[in-house]
Amino acid sequence: MDLLDNLALGFSTALGFQNVLYCFVGVLLGTLIGVLPGLGPVATIAMLLPITFGLEPVSAVIMLAGIYYGAQYGGSTTAILINLPGESSSVVTTLDGHQMAKQGRAGAALVTAAVGSFFAGSVAIIVLALFAPPLARFALEFGPPEYFALMVLGLIASVALASGAIIKALAMVVLGLLLGLIGRDLNTALPRMTFDLMAMIDGLQFVAIAMGVFGLGEIIRNLDSEQLSRGTVAKVGRLMLTREEARAIVKPILRGTVLGSILGILPGGGALLASFGAYTVEKKVSATPERFGKGAIEGVAAPESANNAGAQSSFIPMLTLGIPPNPVMALLAGALILHGIQPGPNVISEQPTLFWGLIASMWIGNLMLLILNLPLVGMWVRLASTPYHLLFPVIVVFCCIGVLSVNNATFDVLVMIGAGVIGYILLKLDCEPAPLLLGFILGPMLEEYLRRTLLISRGDPSVFFTRPLSATLLAFAVLLLVLMVLPSIRSRTNEALKE
Amino acid sequence: MKRIMTAALGAAIIATPAFAEYPERAITMVVPFSAGGPTDTVTRLVAESMSKDLGQQIVVENVGGAGGTLGAGKVAKADADGYTLLLHHIGMATSATLYRKLAYDPLNAFDYVGLVTDVPMVIVARPNFEPADLKGLIEYVKANKDKVNYANAGIGAASHLCGMMFMSAIETKLTAVPYKGTGPALTDLMGGQVDFMCDQTTNTTNQIKEKKIKAYATTTAKRLDALPDVPTAGEGGLPGFQVGIWHAVYAPKGTPKAAIDKLSAALQKALKDPNVVERFASLGTVPVTQEEATPAALEAKLKSEIARWKPVIESAGEYAD
Amino acid sequence: MLGWLSRRNLKDVLAGLLFIAIALILGWQASLLPFGTAMRMDAGYFPLVLSSLLGLLGVANLIKGLVQENDGTAIGFKLVALAPIVVGTMFFALTVRGLGLGPTTFVTAFVSAFASRYFRPLVALGLAGLLSVFCVVVFVYGLGVPLPVFGPWLGN
Repeated sequence: MDLLDNLALGFSTALGFQNVLYCFVGVLLGTLIGVLPGLGPVATIAMLLPITFGLEPVSAVIMLAGIYYGAQYGGSTTAILINLPGESSSVVTTLDGHQMAKQGRAGAALVTAAVGSFFAGSVAIIVLALFAPPLARFALEFGPPEYFALMVLGLIASVALASGAIIKALAMVVLGLLLGLIGRDLNTALPRMTFDLMAMIDGLQFVAIAMGVFGLGEIIRNLDSEQLSRGTVAKVGRLMLTREEARAIVKPILRGTVLGSILGILPGGGALLASFGAYTVEKKVSATPERFGKGAIEGVAAPESANNAGAQSSFIPMLTLGIPPNPVMALLAGALILHGIQPGPNVISEQPTLFWGLIASMWIGNLMLLILNLPLVGMWVRLASTPYHLLFPVIVVFCCIGVLSVNNATFDVLVMIGAGVIGYILLKLDCEPAPLLLGFILGPMLEEYLRRTLLISRGDPSVFFTRPLSATLLAFAVLLLVLMVLPSIRSRTNEALKE
Repeated sequence: MKRIMTAALGAAIIATPAFAEYPERAITMVVPFSAGGPTDTVTRLVAESMSKDLGQQIVVENVGGAGGTLGAGKVAKADADGYTLLLHHIGMATSATLYRKLAYDPLNAFDYVGLVTDVPMVIVARPNFEPADLKGLIEYVKANKDKVNYANAGIGAASHLCGMMFMSAIETKLTAVPYKGTGPALTDLMGGQVDFMCDQTTNTTNQIKEKKIKAYATTTAKRLDALPDVPTAGEGGLPGFQVGIWHAVYAPKGTPKAAIDKLSAALQKALKDPNVVERFASLGTVPVTQEEATPAALEAKLKSEIARWKPVIESAGEYAD
Repeated sequence: MLGWLSRRNLKDVLAGLLFIAIALILGWQASLLPFGTAMRMDAGYFPLVLSSLLGLLGVANLIKGLVQENDGTAIGFKLVALAPIVVGTMFFALTVRGLGLGPTTFVTAFVSAFASRYFRPLVALGLAGLLSVFCVVVFVYGLGVPLPVFGPWLGN
């Protein structure tokens, strides 16, 4: 009954006054930024990162995690009531959620989203508690070749799952990998691609790139197609489900939860992918797919469950393997490192209070969100109706201060500006930025593990194929690449994601 | 000539009565590493205690990058008014050789306040590594030098320095596997992916006690209180093999002597502060003696350490730029 | 020629050119480093291989764009939205240490506000004022970010 002991430890940590407070602050902030379009968890966590230096590591992680899953709740409110996705992962919720609202069933849609999220969140926590520890023990057996193979698989998966043209997604990954290599080479300490600038010798800061692309780049894009009218705000109506509605959402919530938990673990996965995947599946299994897009309650239940499950299960690869599957996790990994904790297989055994405290806090946070969200819907709607032209200068200034305070380097602000301009251009050219950021995180790791493998094997590459685990992972990667290049499958995924 | 000028200028400032009140405003203490690391922790502890004695706040500013040389370079160029200080570790001495184009001269760009602490190191190995003791390790490593891998936390890191010193002491060149920081290196050591490494007690004591890694020897003259069962390198057959990651406080060259004296006295008091002693102990280290927390002791230490590391780094041929 | 080009898929053409340009710049930087061999990679190996790959993908994008017909969507970069944000943030980067956080955030917020087509000078002034007070209180006094409120250029 180790699990119960561990959970008891977790709850005793998470229920401490300070941690409950930080959990509350985290989910409240998360809901807030989820509600506000144009400000996402990546930019918010990056801004708050420096502030967490002074906190206990557990409290810091509890708060930052709360922002991520809190945003999944908040995003749905705006999507349903104003037809604006407050968060990228609630894009699909607008399709049926806002239609429901137009038909006067906004209350039902909001309840469905909240209940689905809560259920999915609770299940994903159990998945995390059950699967992370054995995976961590297993991960200690991982050597450099296995890590390398795993990252190749992850990068290819991220390309396969990206929407839009495959060549562009590939180019974005490679560009990310390259940008990630800028700075001192680990093996020789030579500065690489630094244009002889002292400021670039430690590379470009991930926070600066992320804030540039997801903060400034998004703002500029939002502004160039700015509209003053924010659409009509739908009336909330009765916060109750009819018996038929209640029956209709049970299975979609279950399916969304399972799919979200799985898609969250994949490299490149997380809340966004989970919500798209769940919507597609729901439409496929439905007997009446023509109702989708016209206010089908299943089209709210499944993606809203999936995005919350995915947000939480994406902690698994970061905490057990030290490989962040998405930009938010990369930031959280950075937060752990700042506190002297190395994300990887030893986190669970060496920092049990942190790991189990985080898990317990997620459940507490989900409960808070459930309670927080429904009665406060009116307030969130009013906030979401803040005109964008009053909001964005605030975000711009916070981005600047946030990036500056991470390393106290003015150069990082310049990097953010550059990333913002290039990010805007790439967004306009239909190049999705997420693969770039994943490449940026994994680039240095990929090279590091490749060269470390060859250093330990004294230059013999056969280790990649003679070690069973790395051979299997690489075989999967090749398989995925082949499947991806086959045009028939490619066009099918595109079709699914387009809707 | 310039030195005389600055000295004269310094004397003039001392003569003005206003300076007797130093410090009149908050002091900035630069750490040339990012927040949260071991050096940052040491700095924040010392700064907090010193500010109580000086009656002014000491703001810790992290200027990380390029192995500590960015932050040190910044302080070297700062106003020598006693309001900008630097807390740096052994890197101050090794960067003199590791970096061939440094923007400042480590020996002549600073005034000295005093030493702070000297963190000991331990030679550790994967739990199932064959050799039984340090003697066995040296024999094994010499016999299998093409097979053995030793880890370090990147060029210029404490573990890299200790590894170079070890290779130079046993006169054998081995394959170094670099990692990004001590954390991942220790993870791979525990997982048996690499054979051995040498790192600060701050990072290794807990894992040694939990028997997740094997300890061969400490790099100190005496056995450590925290690890009484681990012999010293001298006991194990490497007399004179002593490496410590010493930390010290500096000020820009030309800082008024009155300010240096006040800072030095505040540092000595801080190192007696029970809270500092206790927190240092939890990091696996102890404050230096009162005599070492002085400008003269630091100057001597820096000079001898630069001279000591120069041949080691040059013979290893691994530079950081 | 120009007429024909304007009927191509310009988004892909431009993306391709952008990737090729970045590949050339970074590839040039990488080529200054020792290359090593596939078995014993030196510092330049991985960056050079990746920049070549990026260049190839850029060429592929370019060709794809030239072959395809324009799908009718315009790209339309809007300098009106871009310029104020860039100028505002640039101002922040260059002056925050000299002027201090208070004045800098005021100017940055005010200048960025120009990016919106609903810009009203008085509203923007008010917003910038409130925001700079808020930032000083929260970041400098509340969170202890080591930045001056009024910097040395203002005689402090």
